[in-house]
Amino acid sequence: MNVENAKAQMKKGVLEYCILSILSRNSGYASDIIRELKEARMIVVEGTLYPLLTRQKNAGLLSYRWEESTQGPPRKYYELTDKGREFLNELDTAWNELVEAVQFIRKK
Amino acid sequence: MKRTLTINLGGQVFHIDEDAYEELKAYLTRIEVHFSDPGERKEVMDDIERRMAELLQEKDGDKNRVVTLNEVREMKEILGDPDEIGESGEETSSRKETRHYRTPGYKRIYRNPDDRILGGVCGGLGAYFHINPLLFRILFIIFTFAGGTGLLVYIILWIVVPEARTRAQKMEMRGEPVTIENLGKTVREEFNEVRNSFRKT
Repeated sequence: MNVENAKAQMKKGVLEYCILSILSRNSGYASDIIRELKEARMIVVEGTLYPLLTRQKNAGLLSYRWEESTQGPPRKYYELTDKGREFLNELDTAWNELVEAVQFIRKK
Repeated sequence: MKRTLTINLGGQVFHIDEDAYEELKAYLTRIEVHFSDPGERKEVMDDIERRMAELLQEKDGDKNRVVTLNEVREMKEILGDPDEIGESGEETSSRKETRHYRTPGYKRIYRNPDDRILGGVCGGLGAYFHINPLLFRILFIIFTFAGGTGLLVYIILWIVVPEARTRAQKMEMRGEPVTIENLGKTVREEFNEVRNSFRKT
């Protein structure tokens, strides 16, 4: 059990929640999401994001549309579906409960 | 002096050094083998290729420049370790099977499309038993003239035995374990074969 591994495991679970949360504000393409996650220091490398987006899309939480870009190839813009919004609401509640629980324990 | 290749990465054309190409190809293959679902694999690989194309364009807009080994290594740094990318895509329970999705040394008879005269039956048999396919060819010809059973058996095998289409199937045909390292090895071998055939012409 090393620290780096434990930290990575912790982040991984929260990462999907963060993606949905970012997309609930605005639709965005992969690089936008990556930039925000990097700013927040949630991820270090980019590659991990792509399989997550594909999985969330296949689960019906996200949909995407193609948009032309002024420089380079067309971009895939992701947005939350209704199902994704519901899912996010549930996660919001779960997250608050989790934070409260951890704080409760740590204060004791 | 270096030889360069032209590749299509995420729908964009790039010139790339030979060593950089080899590194890039091996990297993409190492990511690819983590995804067992073909639809998901295609989509994730397309996304990653498009991102790579974007990264290269951001660096320098000049269309005629050549992508170097250093740039490929930089992209690998940005995108991360193939094992990590694969893990985030797979459910933890199925992670093990994707590493060794067949038991090591699993062997099957296939028709060999790389070594064939008619349907690749003898080539496949040769690869399976690790003997010269010529022996099977002679046997089939002898039995064809001695009563015609040779031809019949050949045609039945042609119909029944599947062709080795994928890289993994070709490795199974030779009885090599299908692991990520070995897949990487065959990619490099194939690349060298192509390179050598270019040199000959």
